[in-house]
Order: sequence, then C-alpha cells, then structure tokens
Amino acid sequence: MTDASMDSAAPKRRFVSLTAEDDRTRKRNAAEKRFRMYGIVAIAIGLFFLVSLVYAILSQGLPAFKQAVVKIEYTLTQEQYDDAESKLLKTAVYTDNFVAYLSEEMNARGIEVEFDAAAIERLLGKVGGDLRAFYGENEDMVGQPVTFELAAASRVDRYLKGTFEREDLQEGNRFFMAEDFDLIDAMQEAGFISQAFNWNFITGVDSGVDNPGGAGIGASVLGSFFMMLVVLFLALPIGVAASIYLEEFAPKNRFTDFIEVNISNLAAVPSIVFGILGLAVFIQFAHLPQSAPLVGGLVLTLMTLPTIIISTRASLKAVPPSIRDAALGVGASKMQSVFHHVLPLAMPGILTGTIIGLAQALGETAPLLLIGMVGFISRYPDTFLAGFLEPNSAMPAQIYNWAARSDAVFTEKAWGGIIILLVFLLTMNIIAIILRRRFERRW
Amino acid sequence: MYDAPPFTTQETAVTDVKIKADKVQVYYGDTHAIKDVDVQIDDKTVTAFIGPSGCGKSTFLRCLNRMNDTIDICRVEGNIAIDGEDIYDKRVDPVQLRAKVGMVFQKPNPFPKSIYDNIAYGPRIHGMAKNKAELDEIVEKALRRGAIWEEAKDRLHEPGTGLSGGQQQRLCIARAVATEPEVLLMDEPCSALDPIATAQVEELIDELRQNYAVVIVTHSMQQAARVSQKTAFFHLGNLVEYDDTSKIFTNPEDSRTESYITGRIG
Amino acid sequence: MNSTQEHISSAYDRDLEGIQARIMKMGGLVEQAILDAAKALDTRDQELADKVRAGDKAIDDLEELLNEEAARVIALRAPTAIDLRVILSVMRMSANLERIGDLAKNLAKRNAVLMTMPSMNGSTSQLRRMSRDVQVMLKDALDSYIQRDEALARDVIERDIDIDQMYNTLFREFLTFMLEDPRNITPCMHLHFIAKNVERMGDHVTSIAEQVVFLVTGEKPDEPRQKDDVTSTNVELSKG
Repeated sequence: MTDASMDSAAPKRRFVSLTAEDDRTRKRNAAEKRFRMYGIVAIAIGLFFLVSLVYAILSQGLPAFKQAVVKIEYTLTQEQYDDAESKLLKTAVYTDNFVAYLSEEMNARGIEVEFDAAAIERLLGKVGGDLRAFYGENEDMVGQPVTFELAAASRVDRYLKGTFEREDLQEGNRFFMAEDFDLIDAMQEAGFISQAFNWNFITGVDSGVDNPGGAGIGASVLGSFFMMLVVLFLALPIGVAASIYLEEFAPKNRFTDFIEVNISNLAAVPSIVFGILGLAVFIQFAHLPQSAPLVGGLVLTLMTLPTIIISTRASLKAVPPSIRDAALGVGASKMQSVFHHVLPLAMPGILTGTIIGLAQALGETAPLLLIGMVGFISRYPDTFLAGFLEPNSAMPAQIYNWAARSDAVFTEKAWGGIIILLVFLLTMNIIAIILRRRFERRW
Repeated sequence: MYDAPPFTTQETAVTDVKIKADKVQVYYGDTHAIKDVDVQIDDKTVTAFIGPSGCGKSTFLRCLNRMNDTIDICRVEGNIAIDGEDIYDKRVDPVQLRAKVGMVFQKPNPFPKSIYDNIAYGPRIHGMAKNKAELDEIVEKALRRGAIWEEAKDRLHEPGTGLSGGQQQRLCIARAVATEPEVLLMDEPCSALDPIATAQVEELIDELRQNYAVVIVTHSMQQAARVSQKTAFFHLGNLVEYDDTSKIFTNPEDSRTESYITGRIG
Repeated sequence: MNSTQEHISSAYDRDLEGIQARIMKMGGLVEQAILDAAKALDTRDQELADKVRAGDKAIDDLEELLNEEAARVIALRAPTAIDLRVILSVMRMSANLERIGDLAKNLAKRNAVLMTMPSMNGSTSQLRRMSRDVQVMLKDALDSYIQRDEALARDVIERDIDIDQMYNTLFREFLTFMLEDPRNITPCMHLHFIAKNVERMGDHVTSIAEQVVFLVTGEKPDEPRQKDDVTSTNVELSKG
C-alpha cells in the first residue's frame, strides 16, 4: 500500500546541529527585528501627535475655566439704601457708593490710586445694576456685610492671564484706558482680584461682544442633549428593527444584496450631504422650525442609522447558530427564537454600537451648519417641549461660532468648549467599554 | 449440585410503526442528496442511522422534524408520515411539529439562561403550564427523565452553561423531553463527549426508549451496536440496509454493509 | 474485583448475566447427567439410562445458544480485558461441558448391553465412585468460576491425579479379570471404555478449571498438567 518498502537504501542523513546558526536564519532574524523597529517607530509617532494634541488643547482651553473676579466685602448702610432709592438715577448712586467704599478700603490698605465710577464700570461692568438687583431681592441684607464676587471684564481677565499687554492697547479704545492697568495692579495688590473657577462657562449662555468673558456653553449642551434624545429614540428602534429584518427574515436575493451594499455606502457619505438633505426635506418641505434640535436630531438620525444597522447586524451574526437551532428544536417559531434568544444575546453589541454612533453624532458640525444651528442663543428654553422646538445650537456648532469671532476671549472659550466636548465623548466611550465588558458572555 | 438461576431474557417490547418514510428525495440545489429512501421507524425503539461521512444520514434525520426548512436551497420530496399524518402537508405548522418531535444536537447547546429557564422555555411557549407550580413539576419531571435531577436540583437558578459537557448534553436531552414529544431525534449526541459521559448518555437513551421512539445518527458503529435495536445503513444518499442491530453486526445481507462495518470502506 | 462492579450500561450487565446463568445451568445439567449415568450402570436401571441419553439434547442446545450469545456480545459490545476473558472462557467451557455431556451419554448407551452380562465383582460401584469424584470436581470447578476463586480452581486441577490413579487401578483389574476368564473379556472391554470415558471427563473438568485460572489471572496455568494416566506408556503395566 505504501511506497516505504520500495527504496531499500534510505538516503544518508547529514547531522546538522540545531544550535548552529545559518545564513538564512540570521537574515530572517534581522528582518524581523527591523520590522519590529518600524512598528515601534510608528507607534511613537502616533503617540507624539497624541501628546501634542492633548497638550495644545489643555494649555489653550484650561484658562477658559478660570475667571478673574473681584471679591470684596461690602456693607450698604440703611441710609445709603434709602438715599439711593429716593433718587431718580438709582444705579448711579449705587455705583458711587461702591466706588467710595472701594476707595476707602484701598486707602486703608495703603494703596494710593485714583479712579472714578467710569473706570470701575470699565473693569467690572454694570456694578450699580448688579448691586441694586441684589439688594432688591435681599432687602434684609442691608446694613449687613455681604461678600460679593463680581466678574471682571474680559480684558482684565486677559491682562491677568498675560494675553493682553500694555503695548497691545490701542489709542482711542473706549473699553480700556492706560490708567486702568494701574488700577488693576493696585486692586490685585490689595487682594481684591483673584482667579476663581468659572462656573458660568459651564452653565451660562452665549453672550455678545460686550461681554465675551460671560459667555457660557450651557445652552449648547442642552441643545446637544435634546438632539441626542431625538437620535436615541429614533435611530435605535428603526436601526435595530431594520437590522433584525435584514439578518433574520429577509430572503437572500439580489434585492436584499442591493440594500445591504447601499447601507454600507451610506455610512461613508460625507455628513454635509445629510445637512443639505435635512435642509431640503425637513425645513423647506416639511416646514419644521429652523435651528431646532428636533431638526438637528432628525438629520443626525439619518447619519447614525447606517452605523447602528451595521453594528447590530454584526452582533446578530455573532450569535452562534446553535442557539437558534436549539430554540427551533424546542418548538419556537422564528420570531420567538429571535426575540427570546438571539436579541438578548446580541444586546451588548447593539448597545455598544449605539453609544459609539451617538458619540460620533455628538461631534458632528457640518450638517448643523446647514440647518442653521449656529445661531446666537442667549437664553435657555422654557419648557421641555420647547427644548426640541426652539432654536438652539449644539456644542460643536457653538465652538465653531466662537472660534470665528474676533475677540481673543472667544477663542479661549472655543478651546474650553473643545475640552468639554471631549469630556463628553470620552465619558460615552468609557460607558460603551464598561457595558461591553459587563455583558460579555461566553456561550 | 449447582442450581442455576432462572434465565434473564432480552426485553423486546411489541412495537408499532411510528414514522413511515416513502420514496423520500432531498435536493440541495441541484445535488441529489437523499435518493429514494423507504424506511419505517418503530415506536419505543432506538433506531440508529450509520454510514460514512456525507452519506446523508443527518440530512434525512433533519427531514423528520422539518429542520431542513430553515435551509433555503433544500427541497424535500416524497412522503414522511408520523402516526399516519404527512408532516409535509401544507396545513402542518412546523413549529407544532417540533414540539412533538424533539431534537438533540451534536454540540451541547443549552440556552445561556438558568437551568430552570432552559427546561421551562419550551413548555412556556407551548402553554403547557397554567401556573408556576405546574411549571415546577414539569421541570422536575423533565430533569428526572434526563437523568440530571440529582445534579441539578440544588442549582436550578445557576446558568446552564456552567455544567460539564456530559451534564450539558443531558440537560439538552431533558429540555427536549420537557415538551412531551413522542419522537426524539439525536444528531451525533455523544461526539463532543468523553467516554464516561458518552456511556452515561447511552444508558439514558436506553431508558428513554421505554417512552419514546428514538432515532440516533452516529458515526460510531460501536455506539450504534451498543445502543440501538434497529440499524439503518446509509451510503451515498441511499438506504442500503435496514434490519435488527444484532443481524446487521453479525451477518448483514448487503456486501456494502459488511464492508463498512468491518472497516473495509470508509 | 472489577467483574463484580457494574457497567454504566445496564444492558451490557444483563447480557453478561444471562450468559453466565446459561453456563451454570448447563453445568448443572451435566453434573446430573454424570451422576445419573453412573447410577444407572450400578443399579442396572435402563429407564434412567434412557433419560440420560434423551437429556443430552438439552445440553447440546444450550451449547449452541451460548455460542450464539457470545458471538452477539462480541459483535455488539467489543468486550475488552476482563469482559473479553469472560466471553472467551464461556465459549471454551461450554465446549468442554458439551463433551462431558456426550461422554455421559456414551456411558448410558452401554448400559443396555452391560445389563445382559455378568457383573464384574464391584467394578461398577468403583466406577460409580470415580464418577462421583468427577462430578464433585465439576461442581467445584463451576463454583470456582462463579466465585472467580483461583485457589479452588487450582485444587481441582490437582485432583485430576486421583482420577487418573483410579483409572490405572481399574485398568489393571480389568486386565486381571480378562486373563482369568475369557468370558469376562466382553464385559471388561465395555467397562474399560466406560472407565476411559470417565477419565476423559476428568480431563475436561480440569480444562474447565484451567479456563477459570485464565479468567482470573489472564494467563494459562504454568505447570503442565500432570498426566498420571501411564497406561499408554508404561510397559510393566501391560504385562499380565
């Protein structure tokens, strides 16, 4: 049966030591070492860019979270209060009182500097108005010492952060004068000016050129949030249902192949195309309110749908056919086997895909530009429903808007906004990873 | 004088025909996989299908509970009747059929749920229990029938996938009998098990034949010899010989059968 | 011992039990046949002799059945180790038992003729005693089989010497009788065949006991069987 018996003289074997290194082995080892070096170099380059990026973002963006404030303990006496309320120009009196008080305090600390109400207003904005509003609500605080934290103007902020120098000041600038620098230094010496955490950046709304430092990202966060709600509640069910149908129930013919190819292509379509589509269909044809998170959400749903469908199909495919066979063998119908067995097992993968899709949608800017969500939004929506329908902006759009404005403070805010956006994305991706780990099952 | 104990006789119950297959053909696309098979499977008997790889025994087995319906390119012709009713009749719902004809697969495939839920799933979807107490009873009965009650009764709510291979297969058998089927189909149930687990499952199959018609596909002739009362030898899609197991293994009629059994053809 | 432990497959155990039950029954029938044949000879009981001759069929049927069953178990169970030795020893033992049964039948066959002849001075009672010894050996051999008792089996093998000695004695006696009176020749010839048969029965029983040793240890007993039947080789004995 075998040829083993045919050749009686077995070929003579030369003894080659295993420990001897021949040419080919040496060359092969050298080539492998080189390849490993290439890999390490590539990783190093990637890491370098990553580190540079993170450094740039943090160094430019962290200052946005700090705000120069004037912290002062001020007491308004009852007489001053009654006096101010009886006059015609009430706020001016408040301002004068404040200026006088500040002067006293500064002199008490041995700092000699001349300033007037106009200078204080350049540095602190409408102090009088703020003080009046406060005492209007808290009348019982009259005569009591109250610690005020007054936000300083953006130029003060920038001066203290070192981005605004004396030399930068142009002649005829009505927002700032040369003496103001000395006032700032004096107040700093007296201990009235400090850097505090800028909560307003996170919770506040956008503001105009008159108060760049007061701009906040709060409203846009809410706008993004409403959009994500729309995407979640539309894209997830539609995507999962479409996927289940395509994977489990659709017959395998040319038509379904055609659909599959197109879905994969849709995932690669540039997002701005979806923006134009949204403009044409949702705004011009369906007359939905412009710049509303509802429309933004609808456009992003269209964009996220292919991603969710593809990841759901992959999760469904990953469920081994033995589970389906087992369910069918016990007498379950196709529907029952899919919904009772396959879907629960695929759920972790589906959730992960959805969260990643949402995270991608969160960072999309181009389609939002076209449907108008880059507007100047200066107040929060009133009700939950209004949150969907009233014009709003989203985080990436807001960042774009700020970066395009001329004032350098807005640029700083843009970097700060990038940090916040990245924090959201990082959080969502971490949640996706945790979910995947937690629900990973062996079958 | 030695007084011999009385004879122990081999029990062969009187059996009826449970499944009758007539001129069955199965096509995969253009390939003619099963050719002209006529066979009668008896009730309360273990029938083994043996034959070399690719001879069609698994395909024919899957025809008996219409699992081949899930394969698009598969076409079945001919008549297969269980208790006299043609199972390929248009009015027959395959889902209901599969409650009557249970199946156990080659690789143990318990659901990734608790042991209790594994067994209870079938009875639940077929509405076999009116309340939890009845369901508990059904589960216990099935686990006892599957010879795994003792090992499972203290871990009913632990996942079924935590059992060993042999235990998982017995769990799958218990799951199959939970829906009170009348026929049990087994597709190489022991090929993924070690010899001791295999012997335990074979002993279980011997007990099961008191209540069900069991059809087992196996590529181990020795297993067919040990476990079945009737054996069918398939070769290249044809049913070559079908007879009592002891006859097939001591003196088969067809030379092809003898060649396969003695290891002369693969 | 392993053979007392149960197989996981209970059907396998039932098959083996069935086979062992049959061989024991066969053994019982053969023991009875030996005793009955010798008694018939001694008491000149033709009816009993006929019963023995008729009963041989049952013994032959059992041997055939046992062979079939053993073949079935080999084909279906592929027995190994101790199970294989059980099956092999059963097949050989049944052959031996069947031969012993035939020899007993031959004893009974000659009864009709011997009844017509004068009795030979107590030879038949000697034969009866010899047969009884053989029957006890057979009983012990069967017991050693069912109990897997190697010591008892070896003891049986030893006792064959006694049977051979008894045969030698009877051989000399018959020679003497035949030399004394030529009319004694015919009955003595018959009696001699009978004695030879009984001696052969003893050899077959020894063979059974050897099977038991093989079953228990896996090897045939070492020492060559002692053959003390020297009548075929001893010249002195043949002289008058």
